[in-house]
Order: sequence, then structure tokens, then C-alpha cells
Amino acid sequence: MSIFCLGVNHKTAPVEIRERLAISEHTVPTHLGEVCRLEEIDEAVILSTCNRVEIYGGANNPQFAIERLAAYLESHFAVGPGEVEFYRHSGAAAACHLFEVASGLDSMVLGETEIFGQVKKAYAIAQAAGTTARRMNKLFQQSFSVGKLVRSNSSIQQGSTSVGSAAVDLAEKIFGNLGGCRVMIIGAGEMSRTTAQSLLSRGARSIIVSNRSYDKAVELAAELKGEAVRFDDWETRLDHVDIIISSTAAPHTVVHAPMIRRVMEHRRGHSLFLIDIAVPRDIEEEVNEIDNVYLYNIDQLQQIACEGKTRREKQIAVCRDLIAAFLREKGIEALAGAAQERPGKDPGGNRSDSPGRPLPQP
Amino acid sequence: MDDLYLILATLAFLGGFILAMTSWRREGDRPHGLNIPLAIAGLIFQTLFLRERGELHGRCPITNGAEILVFVSWSIVIMYLVLGRAFRLSLLGVFTMPIIFLFQVFAITYLAVADPGARPPAQLDPWLELHAAMSLLAYGAFGLAGIAGVMYLVQDRQLKSHKPGRLFYSLPPIRYLSTALVRLLAIGTVLLSIGILAAFLMKVQPLPAHLLISGAVWLAYAALLVLHTWKHLPPKQLSLSAIGAFAFALATLSAL
Repeated sequence: MSIFCLGVNHKTAPVEIRERLAISEHTVPTHLGEVCRLEEIDEAVILSTCNRVEIYGGANNPQFAIERLAAYLESHFAVGPGEVEFYRHSGAAAACHLFEVASGLDSMVLGETEIFGQVKKAYAIAQAAGTTARRMNKLFQQSFSVGKLVRSNSSIQQGSTSVGSAAVDLAEKIFGNLGGCRVMIIGAGEMSRTTAQSLLSRGARSIIVSNRSYDKAVELAAELKGEAVRFDDWETRLDHVDIIISSTAAPHTVVHAPMIRRVMEHRRGHSLFLIDIAVPRDIEEEVNEIDNVYLYNIDQLQQIACEGKTRREKQIAVCRDLIAAFLREKGIEALAGAAQERPGKDPGGNRSDSPGRPLPQP
Repeated sequence: MDDLYLILATLAFLGGFILAMTSWRREGDRPHGLNIPLAIAGLIFQTLFLRERGELHGRCPITNGAEILVFVSWSIVIMYLVLGRAFRLSLLGVFTMPIIFLFQVFAITYLAVADPGARPPAQLDPWLELHAAMSLLAYGAFGLAGIAGVMYLVQDRQLKSHKPGRLFYSLPPIRYLSTALVRLLAIGTVLLSIGILAAFLMKVQPLPAHLLISGAVWLAYAALLVLHTWKHLPPKQLSLSAIGAFAFALATLSAL
């Protein structure tokens, strides 16, 4: 009796393939039932997210079960033979793969936490559908323990990985909880929208949008459930905001140091965070010299995101050691070695399973 | 026996500091799991030391420089354990332990070189005990406020320089630090006010110089709070002032 895993992810299949294989949440129980009716497969859990579709299962003959499952997926999702190269793991390698997935080591954004919830949900759906038993229960419970262990004993989640997340992380290091923060967008560009959405997703309270074209401001304000302000009036609203995102197409600066000094006189010691994502820059550099005012431009944010990525990549080895230690603790020595010396690691430490490579023996 | 307790407390704080530094150097975003237990162990040994000294003197053990330093560092640790965590002041080890450790080393050296021995009071006065205990607890709050001020300046520097270093991810947000700083200053000022009021009720009135120094410290902190509340003293200036005021308060301890 052994476990296996078959799937595709963002590293092995383009989005065109992943979207064809994607299994929506409400159809997962049906597919689970069908998979478990396949010859040899006794248990199954389906993990389907935007970056991966994976099926974990239990079978007496994993290699046979994997072939059956591949054929099932090809026939049900109109994928021609050979069009998709699934990665296939069995036994120890399947467990290791799940542990890395749950820890965020196999994610597009290294160390992201959403995948942990998605793994939990996939298991809960399978449990409710009655397609899990001893092996899947044990495997997934262990993956939750490993996910928690890795996140609490490494810095894999630390550091921003995009301009948007860098801006949000900085805002949180200035204000803490963003719950009471008010945001102003000057210039309704795409980057402003993305950054504002990131701030809103972390709890920022209200958004004021100002743009030379008032219609565009109204449109973006409606999308972000904020308020549109005419471009001539944005200065009058500065006193009431905590974060300013500026990305106008102006050929000169639009936010000046004396203007911010005046604003700070009324802020009673409260900090002000300015994000300048325009090129040429919208905000005078001298603004950063004012006490309690923090100004970041696009290059500085990109630099932080770049350092954040490097920082997380450095943590991969630490995470793999933690997984190996967990496996050793559970008495799976061979697997522990495999966790530390994963085959097919790329220079950044990410695993790049070659699709269809020989199966590791359970 | 009191020497042993003092040494054990010092070793506990040294251990906490080393652990904090190593976990910080490894870029961990959380303090080491043993950090708080070591701080608690240090606090217990300090308490045992102070109890022994209290029994020796038959009164609150603040009869010499060593005892005062241990009492102040005991206050800082207790303030951190009770208040610091509520204010999300992390990095106890990296910022607080070195100061505590230094105080402890000074205390050990002082007692080894010139322990004045037992100094029982001519007459036990509860108001004197209250005055001393409240004043030193206030110094603990002021010490922790100074540490919060240092943390604020470090975080402010990192944000301004656009180059977040290792400490950036471990330090609390600057808004929390400035809030904690103000609250610690307020708590310290209230405790010191109680201490000074108790001094007026003592059987033997303290020397005018003693009252003058205590009053100056109280005035310095009260002025900071007034400037913050009514003049909106920027957090950076408040942090610098809190550090300066604690240095002044420490300097006055030798005069007391």
C-alpha cells in the first residue's frame, strides 16, 4: 500500500494547459468519486488552484494507479496523449512533494501562505466526500504540521516579493495595522490601482482618487469603492490621508516639500507615507527629509522586492532541513535524505521536477 | 548566597542576549523560544538576590549603588514582561538584555570591590520603602521607554534610508513604538509622582538635594509628556529626549 501524486503546476505547464485541467471547487467531489472508482485507487485528494492541479491518492500499486489516473485526466479534460507531461511521485517522494507544497516552497511566490489554506480545504473537501482513509489522513495531517513548522522556524515568509507587497509591507512597518489608514491616489494608472488594491486587501480604510481626467478618477474610485476628487482639489484633501500613491504622467513634480511640511503641521505627529511610482517622478526628493515622512520611489520599491526574493530563496535550504528533521523524527530516514538533497534543484533552490522522470520507489 | 543569585541572574541575561543575537543573525523573524524563559529566570534570581539583601538590611534593598542598579534592571525586566509584550515591543534580547547585563556586571563588580555590608535602618518607615520602591519602578519604566526610543530611531533610520536591514523585519512598526514610548513615559511619571508624594510623608524628611534631584527628574519627564500632548513633539524628538532623560535619571541615581 502506498501513496502517490500526479499533477501539473506553474513550472511544468503553461496556463493554457492548467486552465483546461482546472477543477472547480463544486465539481471536486464528483471527480474525487470518479477517481476512487478507478482500478487500484482507494483514496484521493484533489488540490486545484490557479498554479497547480494535483491529485494525491492511495493505492496498492502506485505506478499502475498513476497511469490510470493520467489516462482519466487526459480523457476527461480533452487533453491529447503526450500534450501534458504530468509529474508523478510515489511513496516518499509524493509525501515530500506535498510537504513542500504546503510549506510554500513549490509556490510561484516563494513562501506564500495562501497555499496552506488551499491544501487544508482540499483535504476537507475530500474528507467530506468520503475519499480519504488512513493514508491520506496521515499524509495530510503531517503536511499541516510541516507547513506550520516551516513557517514558524524559518523566514520563508519574510520580505516583499513585488512592488505592491513591498509598499504594503512598508506601510505596515510605519502604521502597524492598516485598518484606520486612508489612502490617496494621484494619477489613476494601473500600478496605482494594483498598489491601492494591495493596501485595501490589508485593511486600508478609504481611498481618494484624483486624476487629470475626472472620468478616469470616477471609474477607478468606483472600482475601489472610494471617492473621486477633481485634480485641482487633491491638495485640499492631503491633511486627511496617511498614504499617498502618485503616478501621474506629469513631466515635472506635483508634490513638493513645502506642501508636505504644511500638511505635517496639522498631523499631530502622525506619519505620512508617500509612494511615487511615476517616471519622471511626481514627488520632490526633499520630502523624505521631513520628519515622520517616508518617501519611496519605484526603483527603491523594486530593489526591496528583489532583495525580498533573494532573502526567501536563501531560506529554501533552511526549510528543507526542517522538513528533513521532521521526517527523521517520524522515523523516515531515507525520505529525510531525499528532502535535503532534492533532485533537479535549480540554482535558486526551487525544485524543477522533470515531467515523467522515473518514479522514486516507495 | 546573594552573590550567587546575582551571578546566576547575570548569566541568564547574558544567555538571553547571546540567543537573541544568534537568532537575529540567522535572520529569524521571531525571538528565540528560550529568550523569555531566560528573562524570567534572570528576574527570579534578581528577586532572590533582592530578598536576601532585604533580609540583610531589614528594609528595601537600595542601600548602595549595586542594589540600586539591580533594582532598576529588575524594574526594567518586570516592566518589559508586564507591559512590553502588550505594547508589542519585541527584541527584548537584542535591545534590553545588553543594558540589563551591563547593570548586573557593574553591580557584581561593585559588591566584589566594596560591599558596605548590612545597613539596618534606625527606624523602619513604610513611606520610605514606598518612596524608594515606586521611584525605582518608575526608573524601570523610563529605562524601557529609552529602549523603545532607541528602537524607534533605528526603525526610522531604516525607513528613511530605503535600505531595510535585518532588524527592519524584526522591529515593531514605528507607530506602535511611539505609542509604547508615550505610555511608558506616562506610567513612569505616575509611579515617580507616587514616589515623590510618599517622600513628603516620610518620618524623616529627605535632604533638600534629594528632593531637588527627584523633582528635576519628574519635571523632565512631565515636560516631555506636556510637549507631546500639547505641542505634538515629533516622535523622533520624543525618542531622543526619552533616551537623554533616562541618561540624566541614571546619572542622578548616584547622587541619590
